[in-house]
Formats: sequence, structure tokens, C-alpha cells
Amino acid sequence: MTDSAIIAIAAAFAIAVSTIGPALGQGKTAAAAMEGIARQPEAAKDIRSTLIISMALMEALTIYGLLIAFMLVAKV
Amino acid sequence: MSEPSEVILPIFGVLDVTGEVVVMWIILAVVAVISLLVTRNLKERPGKFQNIIETGVEYLDNFFTGIIGRKKARKYFYFLGSLFIFIIFANYSGLFPGVGMTKYAKAPTSSLSVTAGLGIVTFFFLLIASIRAKGVKGFLKRFWSPVIILPPLLILDEFIKPASLALRLFGNIFGEETVTEQLYEILPIGAPLIMMILSLLFCAIQAIVFTMLTTIYLDEAVETEDEE
Repeated sequence: MTDSAIIAIAAAFAIAVSTIGPALGQGKTAAAAMEGIARQPEAAKDIRSTLIISMALMEALTIYGLLIAFMLVAKV
Repeated sequence: MSEPSEVILPIFGVLDVTGEVVVMWIILAVVAVISLLVTRNLKERPGKFQNIIETGVEYLDNFFTGIIGRKKARKYFYFLGSLFIFIIFANYSGLFPGVGMTKYAKAPTSSLSVTAGLGIVTFFFLLIASIRAKGVKGFLKRFWSPVIILPPLLILDEFIKPASLALRLFGNIFGEETVTEQLYEILPIGAPLIMMILSLLFCAIQAIVFTMLTTIYLDEAVETEDEE
């Protein structure tokens, strides 16, 4: 395998692996929020804003993976 | 990292005009014209046009009030509101036909330079607001208040906050634009529509997330001890 082939595979792995963790986390968060809203519809507004913030913080992890993937792709 | 934008009009080699800059100028013009038209003759009983804009501003005001309370929301509305309006216009500009396809027009927030600029502005805003609200002593106190070993982490945190804000916005919008472009390559008619409909949602959410996180950081930065 050439160097650039290895780098290309590494870039693909960087984004693929960094997607899995946050995806699982976001799924759990959304499920819990749904449950909370279903039990207490009047608290929906507060739950929604907290949900968006926590989702955004988790998403940052994926974006870091994306950044690393870009940096690797630039080296191919 | 993403490809550097193509320069369409070099000015002294430093102030190069790129597609993002052009779109930002258009956004500035549109927002300025709307504001001028609305505030030219304000009425106690608003007309149709004034009513629409008032609803929007009221929504923003309620949004910030819900997070940091009425007093602070009013005090810092000038920054938070402008940030939200600019980001949402910049995000949605990517959905217009032709934007992103040529080098003359690109969605501003799909470039890391623009979002990094927004991040830097936010960083200095938080710094100045914090020093103004608490004084230099109060500002420094936050770094060693709970435990004495925390300062390195807390100082790092100050820099990571705006950096992650910038990266998040850039990553989302750039990713979205790239997916739309790739779908366009596969099937020019119809396929990009799927992503663009999703984009309608994502663009608004990213603008909300950026402003909401800035508001929360601001709340942390300006809170004084005797308030609670």
C-alpha cells in the first residue's frame, strides 16, 4: 500500500469512528428527552433548550473527527 | 482543512475579495435596507411590515430572556441579536440557487475563516463583558476560585469555547454544502432537494445553537456573587 492510500483509509476511519460515539449518545439523550416530554408536557420548553445544548456539545466531538479527516485528506 | 477560497478580486494581496465576502456584503446590504425601511416611520399601531419584524425581534428577546433573564438580555441584546441575525442569514444564503456552485458566491459560514472570525469576536466580547461586569479582580478570581490547581484548565477553557463554537458552525454548514454538491453530481435534478429540505432545519438549529451557547457562556462570564 502506498502512503496516500493509508492516509485515505485513516481519514475515512477518523470520521467513521468519531461518528459512532456521539450518535449513540445523542440517541440516548433524545430518547430520555422524549420520555421526559411525554410524562410532563408542560416542561417541554425547558427540556427542548437543554436538549439542543447537550446535542450541540456532543456534536462537537464528531466535528473534531471531521476536522482531523480534512487535515488527513489534505496530506494525500 | 478545507480548500482555500478562490480570490476573485485581489486588493493589495491582503484584503482579497472571495465569494464569501461578496455574499456577506449582500447580507449586510439586505439587513441594512430592511432595518432602514422598518424604522423610517415607526408607528404606535404597526403596519404589516413593521409587525412582521417586531414579531421576530420579540421572539429573539423572549429567547434570550428565557436563558439569562430580562435585565441581562436587554443589556446584551445588541450583540446576541446581531450575531443570531447574521448567522441565520449567512446559513440560509447557501440555499439560494447558484450560491456554492461558482466561485463568485458561497455561503459565508461554510468557510472556516468566517466562523473563526465570529469565534474571535465572541471571545473578545465575553472577555470585555466579563471585565466590565466584575472588574479585573473579579474576572481573575474566577480562575482560581474553587480549587487552586484549576487555572491552567480554566484558561484553556476560555480559548476552547470560541474555537469549538467556530468549528461546530463551520463543520455543520460545510458538511451540508458538500453533501448537497455531491448529490448534485449524482443527479442534478431532484436529488439535492432532499438535503436542502433538511438544510432548512439544520441552518436554523445551528444559528440557535451558536447564539444559545454564547448566551450561556456570557451568563457564566458576567454573573456576580451577590446577585443570587
